Amino acid sequence: MTKHMLSALLSSASLAALLLAAPDAKADGLKLTALMEDVPETHIIEALLPEFTKETGITVEFQKLAYPDMHQKLVTQLISNQSAYNVLEVDFLWAGEFPEAGWLADLQPFVDKTNFDLKPFVPSMMDLVGKHKDTLYMIPMYNYSMGLIYRTDLLADVKLKDAWKQESGKDLAFPTTLADYVALSKFMKKNAGVEGAAMQSQRGDPNSMEFSNYLFANGGRYLDDSGKVALDSPEAVQALELYVDNLKNGAQKGALSATLDDTFRLMCDGKAFSMVTYWWMLPQIDNKDKCPNAAGKVALGVMPGGHGESGGWGWGIPKNQSAELQDAAWKFIAWVQGKEISIKRAMEGHAPTRSDVFEDPAVLAKYPYYKQALDVVASGMSFPIFTYSAQYEDVLGRQLSLAGSGEVKPDTAIKASASGLEELMKKAQ
Amino acid sequence: MTDAAVIDAPKKKRKPRDRWRATGWKFAAPGLSMIAIVMGFPLVYAVLLSLSSFTLLKPKLAPFVGLENFRTVMAGEYFWHSVWITIKYSAVTVTGEFVLGLLIALLLNRVVRLKAVYFAILTIPMAMSPVSVGLIWHMLLQPNLGIVNRLLELSGLGGVDWLGEPGPAFWTVVFVDIWQQVSFVILILAAGLAALPSDPYEAAEVDGAGSLQQFWYLTLPMLRPVAAIAIVIQLINETRTYDLVYVLTRGGPGIATDLMSYFAYRQAFLGLSINEGAAVSFVLLLMVLLLTIVFFRLVTRRG
Repeated sequence: MTKHMLSALLSSASLAALLLAAPDAKADGLKLTALMEDVPETHIIEALLPEFTKETGITVEFQKLAYPDMHQKLVTQLISNQSAYNVLEVDFLWAGEFPEAGWLADLQPFVDKTNFDLKPFVPSMMDLVGKHKDTLYMIPMYNYSMGLIYRTDLLADVKLKDAWKQESGKDLAFPTTLADYVALSKFMKKNAGVEGAAMQSQRGDPNSMEFSNYLFANGGRYLDDSGKVALDSPEAVQALELYVDNLKNGAQKGALSATLDDTFRLMCDGKAFSMVTYWWMLPQIDNKDKCPNAAGKVALGVMPGGHGESGGWGWGIPKNQSAELQDAAWKFIAWVQGKEISIKRAMEGHAPTRSDVFEDPAVLAKYPYYKQALDVVASGMSFPIFTYSAQYEDVLGRQLSLAGSGEVKPDTAIKASASGLEELMKKAQ
Repeated sequence: MTDAAVIDAPKKKRKPRDRWRATGWKFAAPGLSMIAIVMGFPLVYAVLLSLSSFTLLKPKLAPFVGLENFRTVMAGEYFWHSVWITIKYSAVTVTGEFVLGLLIALLLNRVVRLKAVYFAILTIPMAMSPVSVGLIWHMLLQPNLGIVNRLLELSGLGGVDWLGEPGPAFWTVVFVDIWQQVSFVILILAAGLAALPSDPYEAAEVDGAGSLQQFWYLTLPMLRPVAAIAIVIQLINETRTYDLVYVLTRGGPGIATDLMSYFAYRQAFLGLSINEGAAVSFVLLLMVLLLTIVFFRLVTRRG
């Protein structure tokens, strides 16, 4: 009897201790899991996670995956009763789909409760991966706006300068229009012993993202200001003609099946003049240890024509989890997107979404090209964001690939892409 | 009394058989329930999905829409192309695997020493996951930095754009698939060859039949049941190919490798329409069933 009483007392005491410990500010024992894309940005944050655990007692685990596998894995969790992922990394392509499906929690109450300051976030980033239909579903995490990375040594080469002058009558310089860029790419392939462009034209996300730069650079648009489909335009057809021309005459062999990894390896190996890519690829290529053949010879510019593709990731919190885990997830988001940690991340190569980080003197001293990066981010234009953005990427990617392989003409591909966009937008209504 | 005896007599005879039957069902019950849970439930659920309005945005089965999802996917511009590519792909890969597998199995059948070593080496590709196989070949066949093109260039031949052009891309995926799957066919056929009786061959030798005649009139007919099983299993495997396409080409360039499994995946997870994805999967299932039945009929008719 005494034994039973003793064990009952001990159990009650342990339970009470547990209950008392639960709402502790340090939230000991809580563990958050996030599905993250396996890119440098994730590794930068991962290295800082022990600081968060020390500060809050909350452990954060990153499960890293390649981009193409993420959507399916996230969606299956988001439609289940309880998501296994407590913090969500949301690509801008899903920034219409996830809120429309009702999978994301409204973050405004968390912002209000903790007085989190949203003002420093770049407005274009807030539009892209922050608010959806005036509700705050995400906090911008990092941007992946696209620009042109090119070889400065080849532009400065005297022989090439003369040859270019003879061929085009112009001085060899950073191109100002898309047509000039494609002409320069073809010239480099013919005369510089390198590929003119390292192109990531595999069907789907790679070629859709890449072509969007050509489209915006040439004055084309997916949607007009009123949100109607405006893709079927002479500018878009010309952009695709130039894209196909560059694929056939400026790019590397196998460009139609190439991904970001392939283009990076080529550029890193010093075997290409240029690549239209995410601006934060510059520090990777400009790294003496990783890319000795290209480091010190590369620079970043806004896409010739003035506009490139805007992209970014945001942090979200799934609705299908407990309030306690949602609070813990918000603590993490507020910590990781706060100024202090954002600057620490930027010092390691993070692609900021806060203007105060872009303008931070220490960051600029270490990475002077963040000035160009801000230009790339500020001038970026967006792929259509709506419920079926991911599917549209597939529809567009198929047409681009068909045009690239010569199976359909550019104007037919643009027409099919425009009607595909119209259909999906209608389906989303 | 007599009537009762007449009625009782067959009952007494049936009892042991009934008991056997009942015991049989009891023994089979755990296995059958496992099959019902593991295979039956998902299959029934998939049927329901394909007839429902279930999407990832509105994850509810009701209202049921009948064959509407089938009509929608079949009306799609690229669906029938996908069906054709899948049939072509399956026919080519299964034929390639069978011919190559039979050739190697026949050679192995004559090997006396180190047979186990050969078999161990041959089973390596089969033991690898298709995703790993795809990634390895993707690197080997990389047109600019890959080792295959490097070797071709060193030997004076030009490099090939293995995955970047529609024609070569289709055949490259076929080749990689055969490379991985042929070992399964070899193992089955080698086992079949080892089990063939020696008497007919001895008789044929006495009658003066040559090697080719022995192969044509003895080996092939006697191997037919084993070969049929190998072919049917591979036919089912190949029509479901997804991983290699996902890793190597994503259905491209253009629509050159857009197989049905990949088509169904895109419909379900990019289009968020699980119901339409399930409909495509059912068309695929019907196709496999039809091909299997036709093939078995052909084999048994000849037999």
